[in-house]
Amino acid sequence: MAWYDEDSWLTQALSPKPSTILITFAIAILLPILLHSFLYRKAATATGLPTFLLVGPSGGGKTAFTTLTERGTVPTTHTSTAPLQIEALLPDPHVPASSHYRSPGDPAFERSRRFIIHDTPGHGKLRNYATSTLADPKNVRGIVFVVDAAAIDEEAGLNEAAEYLHDVLLSLQKRYTNAKTSKGPKEIPVLIAANKMDLFTALPASAVKTKLEKAISAVRNNRAKALRDAGAKLTGEDDVDEEKEWLGEGGEGSFEFDQMREIGTTVDVIGGNVSQGKNAGDVAGWWSWMGEHL
Amino acid sequence: MLDTFEIVTTSGVVLWSRTYVPVGANVINSLIREVFIEERTLPQSEDSGSKPSYKKEGYTVKWTQAKDLGLIFVAVYQSLVHLTWIDKLLDNVRALFVGLYGEQLKTELSSVVNCDKFGPYFDRQMQELEGQSDSSAPGIKITTPDSSIDNDSADEGAPAAALQKPPQRALFDTSADSTPVQTPDTSRPTTPASHILAGKARPAGAKLSRRDRKKASGSPAPASSGDEASAKRKGKSTKKNRTWGELGAEEDDGDMVLDYSQSDIRDGAPEPEQLEEIHQDTWGRKTNKGEFVLKDLDEEMDAIIQAQNAKKEKAATAAAGGIVGSSLGAIGGYFRNVVGGKTLTKEDLAKSLKAMEEHLLRKNVAREAAVRLCESVERDLVGMKTPSFTTIESTLRTSMEKALTRILTPTNSLDLLREISAVNQSRPRPYVLSIVGVNGVGKSTNLSKIAFFLLQNHHRVLIAAADTFRSGAVEQLRVHVRNLQELSRREGGEVDIFEKGYGKDAANIAADAVAYAEKNGFNVVLIDTAGRRHNDQRLMSSLEKFGKLANPDKILMVGEALVGTDSVAQARNFNASFGAGRKLDGFIISKTDTVGDMVGTLVSMVHATGIPVVFLGTGQHYSDLRNLNVGVITRLLMS
Repeated sequence: MAWYDEDSWLTQALSPKPSTILITFAIAILLPILLHSFLYRKAATATGLPTFLLVGPSGGGKTAFTTLTERGTVPTTHTSTAPLQIEALLPDPHVPASSHYRSPGDPAFERSRRFIIHDTPGHGKLRNYATSTLADPKNVRGIVFVVDAAAIDEEAGLNEAAEYLHDVLLSLQKRYTNAKTSKGPKEIPVLIAANKMDLFTALPASAVKTKLEKAISAVRNNRAKALRDAGAKLTGEDDVDEEKEWLGEGGEGSFEFDQMREIGTTVDVIGGNVSQGKNAGDVAGWWSWMGEHL
Repeated sequence: MLDTFEIVTTSGVVLWSRTYVPVGANVINSLIREVFIEERTLPQSEDSGSKPSYKKEGYTVKWTQAKDLGLIFVAVYQSLVHLTWIDKLLDNVRALFVGLYGEQLKTELSSVVNCDKFGPYFDRQMQELEGQSDSSAPGIKITTPDSSIDNDSADEGAPAAALQKPPQRALFDTSADSTPVQTPDTSRPTTPASHILAGKARPAGAKLSRRDRKKASGSPAPASSGDEASAKRKGKSTKKNRTWGELGAEEDDGDMVLDYSQSDIRDGAPEPEQLEEIHQDTWGRKTNKGEFVLKDLDEEMDAIIQAQNAKKEKAATAAAGGIVGSSLGAIGGYFRNVVGGKTLTKEDLAKSLKAMEEHLLRKNVAREAAVRLCESVERDLVGMKTPSFTTIESTLRTSMEKALTRILTPTNSLDLLREISAVNQSRPRPYVLSIVGVNGVGKSTNLSKIAFFLLQNHHRVLIAAADTFRSGAVEQLRVHVRNLQELSRREGGEVDIFEKGYGKDAANIAADAVAYAEKNGFNVVLIDTAGRRHNDQRLMSSLEKFGKLANPDKILMVGEALVGTDSVAQARNFNASFGAGRKLDGFIISKTDTVGDMVGTLVSMVHATGIPVVFLGTGQHYSDLRNLNVGVITRLLMS
């Protein structure tokens, strides 16, 4: 039986038989539906919800805050090696700014309280998780920079936090200045969550702010004086007019968080503590900040 | 005794933990940091039979992972104790936990796993394994009294016994509440208790009694060591009896039980069966008493563990099916490879990994480093599912990129200028930086490049010529200094040379230079050293003295980008040459402009020591010194 015989499958497939038409029809309709469901089932669940990105040096309390928001209690946590995304409801007294007018029974109100917290590892070697999200912040409504207010009192802790914060703010600024439209991208506010306020050595929020501002100025100065990157030279391009970008007002004078308003980023510093153990600390300030930007 | 057992997710949340003795969180944190993130201490692979372990602050940490679910199972115990059943416990608990909560763990956008009920399962496992180690180790029981006798005779000078002492001590410690001082006292009340329990033939009691006997068989040792020495040389059974007679109030009972234990010890081989019977018996009893839960748990637990193991075996044997099965499997595997969603095994990865290793070798990465990178990628990927529409190769690629980024990214920032200002503010001493390396890699050149960079930032720099060996070295530096003085006249900053000619001791010159700089208001001292072959012990040994006398704030090693496999040995030997407590602080990789994209030396050197690359030398001019850009290097290596 050759392929050109009358009863070969090829001839049958091309002949105007009702069964053939039916099968073709079924395939034509079902295939796209199946493909769609196969491809988009997973993607559809994750997209759409507003996201808060948690960054900050290791040991600040990011994962603890994530779990506190999710379940209301804080289990013990260790150094993270992988990012974590969880879906949470804004805890009770706090109301999302977008639905102040809604009544609590409204299903839209419930929906608006849902959001995603994206916890990233803070260890120096693993910050690429955070930076890759920052480079393309889809759905990111705000960035929470969790910092240990007690560790910031010491030189090493302060420098680490300041450098990380500098990089975060710089990538936000780059995103703004590189935007193609004249309106600029959607603004992303930053909350500096000064954690561990319950510790005796913790600095108050205002002191955290001034210390960080000062340290970021120093970081910026040192970056300006530092050697250039090896990138251009090694890839064989000319590195003569490799222009760097400086954080806040062209990198002149001392840095203040208010300078970030120019690029559509507000920076707030709020103290709190995600205390581990019996008494679940005091993070109402952070939650209300999240509510304001939800 | 086990101190803590924790089940942690890779994102850092402790899902479940059982603490017997509180252990600081920093032990597990540093395990995660040093083993998982920085990979400073390499765990041996799991094939070697035992689980990898890690030691910190007197604790031994053993762990196992469930990769696909992102779980780490960690057991922490005191290093003094030898727990043979930990591996088994880890395996069983992993199988149990994955079997019970695997579905919950897979839910996205949630970190909550409701595993409050895991406690009883774990306790049963513990009891069972501890019981097994008790009953299945009659050999150990025999050795314990033996060693106790040895210990006694050790008083008369048997050095071998000293070796056996620590584990025995540990046994005493672990038997809970009894401190060594109290042992004779506690052994008295506990033994009668164990008689009663043994009479009831309860398993816990039996176990207890056995342990107590062990304790007892040991504990008379210090007591009897005060006895007549002649008794010690007699057979152990007679000696046992005598000591018991002296200690115990109810001598007869004690003798009886002791005899029983002795027979137990003597014919160890048939004993396990008997013990099994007792176990069976007691299960019945327990259930009669109404503790049905335990039995149910047991059966359930075994079922889960078996199911998990069967799953594993199935996965292992799936490859070796029939002809039809294998061909279907091959087609399926091919399809999976294209579409994704394939669970990776070692065999899947082997070919691609080999290709990746070859690729790295072509990029001038030392073989050792390439192999290690591939192993780390393999560890990362085995047991993972490939995402949709990605092949194994591309998964491997992204994973390798991640591994390279991780290995090259420094843990702390390396801001030289900030360090200098911090040091200058905190004390009157200048900031001292010294440079070491093998011959001809460009130590003096890179030193003067750094000097130029510091001069641009208006520092007052003193260059110390501590290369008193090679002729022309001092003159070469003098020329550099003259050039730099010329250049800095316009820019500000000040530079001078400190030299003492040839043939003097380098360490002393360096120390003098620091003192001179302090007196004359220089705030940075750069010390050039003589090049030395890294495998010449005589030359390398002088570095330790140098490190002590000059006490540099930073020691940088210059390595050539041109060097191949030897880079690993160079980095390692130099890193070890400064004695205990002092290490290199960073590398300068010179001549990177001459190798194109074959920048593998960077990876090799960082791999060997875990010390970051600080600068790259990229040309012939004073300004050709660059910071490391991890992204670019990774791209070059993967291209």
